[in-house]
Amino acid sequence: MMLTFVIFGLLLSGSLAWFTDNKTFLGMTFHAKWFALVSVIGFALIFTFSVCLSPLSFQTLQIVTQVSWITSLNINYSLALDHLSITLIILTLFLAIICILVSWDEIQEKSGFYYFNLLATFAGIIGVFSAVDMFLFFFFWEVMLLPMTAIIAIWGHEKRYFAAIKFFIFTQVSSLLMLVAIITMAYIHQQQAGALSFSYHHWLSLELNHDITAYIMLGFFIAFAVKLPSVPLHSWLPDAHTQAPTAGSVLLAGVLLKTGAYGLIRFVIQLFPQASDNFAPFAAILGVVSILYGAKMAFAQTDFKRLVAYSSISHMGFVMLALFSFNEIAYQGAIVTIVAHGLSSAALFSLAGIIYQRIHSRNLSDMGGFWQSAPRMGGFGLAFAAAAFGLPGLANFVGEFLSLVGAFQVFPVMVILAALGLIGSAIYGMVLFQKTFQGNSIKPVQDLSSRELLVSSSLLMMLVILGLFPNLILQFFRGVIL
Amino acid sequence: MSISLETTTSVIFSAKVFIVLSPILLLSFGLVLSLLLIAWRRSQKIIALFTQLILMTTLLLTLHLLLGDILIGNGTQITPLLKVDRFSYLSFVLICFSALAVVSLSGSVLKSEIEVHDEYYLLILLVVLGAGILVVSDHFASLFLGFELLSISLVGLVGYFRDHKYAVETGFKYLILSASASSFMLLGIAFIYSQTGNLSFSVSSNVMPWSPQPLQIFNSLGILLFFSGIAFKLSLAPFHFWSPDVYQGAPTPITLLMATVSKVAMFTALIKCCFSQSYFSNENFIEIITAVALLSMLVGNVLALKQQNIKRLMAYSSIAHFGYLLIVLTVSSLHKIEFAWQGALFYLSGYLLANIAIFTVLLISEKDKDNRCVNRDIDIIDWHGMFWKNRLSALLVTFSILALAGIPLTMGFVGKFYLLNQAVLFKSWWLISGLVIGSGIGLAYYLPLIFTLFKDEATLENQVAGGGSAHLLTTGKQLFMFSLLISGLIFGIFPDLVSQFFYQ
Repeated sequence: MMLTFVIFGLLLSGSLAWFTDNKTFLGMTFHAKWFALVSVIGFALIFTFSVCLSPLSFQTLQIVTQVSWITSLNINYSLALDHLSITLIILTLFLAIICILVSWDEIQEKSGFYYFNLLATFAGIIGVFSAVDMFLFFFFWEVMLLPMTAIIAIWGHEKRYFAAIKFFIFTQVSSLLMLVAIITMAYIHQQQAGALSFSYHHWLSLELNHDITAYIMLGFFIAFAVKLPSVPLHSWLPDAHTQAPTAGSVLLAGVLLKTGAYGLIRFVIQLFPQASDNFAPFAAILGVVSILYGAKMAFAQTDFKRLVAYSSISHMGFVMLALFSFNEIAYQGAIVTIVAHGLSSAALFSLAGIIYQRIHSRNLSDMGGFWQSAPRMGGFGLAFAAAAFGLPGLANFVGEFLSLVGAFQVFPVMVILAALGLIGSAIYGMVLFQKTFQGNSIKPVQDLSSRELLVSSSLLMMLVILGLFPNLILQFFRGVIL
Repeated sequence: MSISLETTTSVIFSAKVFIVLSPILLLSFGLVLSLLLIAWRRSQKIIALFTQLILMTTLLLTLHLLLGDILIGNGTQITPLLKVDRFSYLSFVLICFSALAVVSLSGSVLKSEIEVHDEYYLLILLVVLGAGILVVSDHFASLFLGFELLSISLVGLVGYFRDHKYAVETGFKYLILSASASSFMLLGIAFIYSQTGNLSFSVSSNVMPWSPQPLQIFNSLGILLFFSGIAFKLSLAPFHFWSPDVYQGAPTPITLLMATVSKVAMFTALIKCCFSQSYFSNENFIEIITAVALLSMLVGNVLALKQQNIKRLMAYSSIAHFGYLLIVLTVSSLHKIEFAWQGALFYLSGYLLANIAIFTVLLISEKDKDNRCVNRDIDIIDWHGMFWKNRLSALLVTFSILALAGIPLTMGFVGKFYLLNQAVLFKSWWLISGLVIGSGIGLAYYLPLIFTLFKDEATLENQVAGGGSAHLLTTGKQLFMFSLLISGLIFGIFPDLVSQFFYQ
């Protein structure tokens, strides 16, 4: 019930923010940004408290809401939570606050509609992380896509229409494949159990040993590999990230990519253990290629955001590699990488937004020597770049280390290759830092304002805490056998 | 022989038959009354109101019959010619609803001319009557009757504004092509008759010489020709060449009439015929359907990519949509027919609602342009930045286009979901890949159209404000648009509200 309240509450407060923006009631002028901020913080608190106080143990997937929706096809509105989805929802809500804070000054035009889209995206993402009826899951999967596309297309940079269309078509076509797979699974259930069912729990008990299972698994895999993204389905990502407004990039890199990883864990691996085991070598190769290719491409970029975008491809390659090695340590590594990358890429994109606001350029050649005029920004920049290349003490290190250690037992050669990616990430991380903050000062910039300081320091704090005490997350994922 | 004749005569006059057929009878009666009305007094306002009244009562009567229990069961056979069942009346509801929308929207177009337009409304009623006969027909003869009634009245309507730029061209094109389509169809029917000796749809399957065996050459030719006649009307590729020109040239309400009433009726007749004759168990027929469907999905979507004119774009997109819809003809077994009907009707209602919405906004923009004495044609660029000028119309267009693209929250998505279900059941992977690829290509023109609505008006200051500024909208129109938007949203999120009608 509480989850439904959060999802629809976000939608509703988004619409309220839209309609009340810049209107005056009782002598007070409403601003959508304040409304959005307060409501997101409120919902985040409600969610956290109700999960903490809940009597349920979320070790396994617990259904929290189930209502009949489309009776003719036996489709239910059912939501469930376990530690994985709770972790990701909390990450989403945390980054939601960051998103609103980074767009505080950036979005001046049509702000009401902007915050509506932003909040609708959050609602959709939370729905994706908690839906266990596959039709509902697909529904949310698409619902989060629409406002995200609007954010890119309306408030983005110069090539925003192209980027938005590319993003939408990639996701939509791949998700139609998933829809076909979902329908096929429902009919397999009908064959075996007599009734059509879209319920995840029902599907878990199916016996899947047909030849067709491999294709169904591929249908799911392609949809999630596009979102993750994995080479060769990644080409929407650099465009979408670069052209989106700052909050859009933060949202894309921080949470939207994680829906792909979440889908791989929950649906591909858990529903089709046999088929994904057969597929694992290919997936691992895709992961390693993504790691190396992403690192190489990141190094070659001259655009700040594009560089970070390619680095995301590289980092998500670790997740793919770790997940498909079916090993507990690697799985824990993947979870930490998911969270850590969400935080560190969000941090780097916020930094990109902060710089863009000052010099109106994302081009690295327009930057340089910012350390002299803005030392605080430089310090945070160094810390975030260090997080991205996996400096011990920060969360990314834990994730990548565990992933590689776990995967080494299964794919030793590939892990050796993947480890090269760590060197690559150090190179592009340093390039990013040097070109931005060191060298001759081209022009002085203003240092961080208190709002920007709040954003940066809270992200850094989370990175450090998770880097030093990874058990905060890991304790929930002990003994999970894939 | 004499016994069978006797039973038919007694059936004709039974009260139940009269009740079941009452919507169509009412419509015909209304037609006669409106002729009398014209003889009594020629007034634009009265005839428009009267037409709306007839359509509204027909609609309500049909709905009443559907909600009652008279239609339960296998349907009522009325003479060998007609057979009324739930599904045919459900599509008749759709037809009446879209005709009602067309009549209400026509007012603004007709007002600009000086004469009284009684014929216009009469012709629309005739189209609806033709469509009504088509959906209840159970015999090739009545099908042809309905087909011709619909086509000939539409020809009159397409070239109705004879002083318009495209009127003659469009009228001719439509006349010649629909005449050739009907001659194809007639020849096909003759071929089928030559093999079966019976023109009824519901020949029991053991009488049918072709059902289990492979089709003989005349029979397959006959079915092919019959199908191509209908494909002309549905503008399926490769019979689609007329549709963009006629869509563009016809007066906008008539374009809407063609896109909705005529297509819904033709499609219903097609599936009724195919289902009762079990064509779907014939592999050759399925191959033809698959080929035409795939071709239409690809041709429609690819050709729509570069269109600038919105009516042409809608023409191409409807080619693709009827390509998708052909999937319902691939039924895996007899007891899945019900499900196929549900899918078809749901998809059609989604398609209909989206089309009505888009054409409503199109008409408003046309009027806006007309007031400023510029060329009537509405291009995509005319809708530039509509969202920031007129939020309601822009939201309506956005929502309808998303429905056409099949995005969740809309009826289009649920319709597509039904189609995919059916294709998966039939294991027609070709059709599934066609649907996926087609929808992917479709997004490449639907999305830019939506983005145009949201573009900043500042970038093109001198562009005409084609979006239809808010002050042009009357309250009634706003209410109509608002209810279209809300009903689309509600039916899209709770499809059960619609599909409960499909169950007994």
